[in-house]
Amino acid sequence: MSPVGRRGAWRRVSWVALAAVIGVALAVGASRGSPSPTVAQRVQAIDALVRCPSCEGISVADSSASTAVAIRDAVTARVRAGQSDAQIDAFLVSRYGPSILLRPPVHGATAWVWFVPPAALVVAAAGLTMELWRRRSRAPVAVSAEDRALVRRAQAERAALSGGGPEVVRAP
Amino acid sequence: MTITTGDRPPARPGAHRRHTSRWVAGVALVAGAALVALLASSPQQTATEVDTPLVGQAAPGITGPTLSGGSFDLSAWRGRWVVVNFFASWCPPCQQEQPELVAFAYAHRSPGDAALVGVVFDDAASTARGFMQSTGASWPAVVDAGGQIALDYGVRGPPETFIVSPEGIVVAHFDGPMTNAGLDYWLTRAKRGDV
Repeated sequence: MSPVGRRGAWRRVSWVALAAVIGVALAVGASRGSPSPTVAQRVQAIDALVRCPSCEGISVADSSASTAVAIRDAVTARVRAGQSDAQIDAFLVSRYGPSILLRPPVHGATAWVWFVPPAALVVAAAGLTMELWRRRSRAPVAVSAEDRALVRRAQAERAALSGGGPEVVRAP
Repeated sequence: MTITTGDRPPARPGAHRRHTSRWVAGVALVAGAALVALLASSPQQTATEVDTPLVGQAAPGITGPTLSGGSFDLSAWRGRWVVVNFFASWCPPCQQEQPELVAFAYAHRSPGDAALVGVVFDDAASTARGFMQSTGASWPAVVDAGGQIALDYGVRGPPETFIVSPEGIVVAHFDGPMTNAGLDYWLTRAKRGDV
């Protein structure tokens, strides 16, 4: 195998190895999971994503307003009662409307906020990959005798202008 | 020999600038006074109807002790129009609307077609009681310990008012100080099924 071919093979092997390492790391991370959160941790996580209704742009977790305290109490009671995050969010939205959530919902008019960025990333990656692949697979340009004569003529003219002899032209 | 021309002596350097400065200061003073007068005479706040998820839904329950020592249950008032008013003694728009609510309650006492109930929002019971008594308010006011009634109604800050139909459905929600005329207007529309 030529040195160029060997380099290409090594490069492919290193890419495969990198992909394997990332895949294994993701698989291990996903399979290990995290220990189930405590009631306090869940309440804190939910409160951090709920807007204080009587404040300006801060979460229930960061506010001491009476409305925020009431929501914290309600969230705690509902977490203790075994409700899911989605059920608690739905309850708050049924009272205050969707603006009570600091995190836009994944459905309805705000769904595009979640789906457009990853979709744009995928499209951009696919476009880049296709362009690179097309460049690599493009056939080398065939050089005709006419082209060589043209280059020779140009070099001769250049040499004549600079006072030297004609340069040697190597065939590509 | 001294020649006198009768003309005014030439202005001293800087006098013209001082004159302009006085004009600018005067205009600024008048503009400031006009702004203050405009702000002072601006109309009082009025209530706006707000579209919240609760409108068209069953009114959340209101149960609890009242400021006068009794107890209240909204479900016992089924069969007549109920105006639910969240208020606090410390809130200026609540103070503004209170005489209007008194007039509304008085006007509807005899016909008995509509009743008013207050819900204390983030206020001490003693202060809220004093506020009610001082304004001649005689309708029940429920103590909302922990703010759970306010949360059930999605109240952000007082005053907020809800109209509940005789069937127990929230038909309108208002943010800001109500007027007697405004309440009558909305109640009439609600009775016609216009809201």
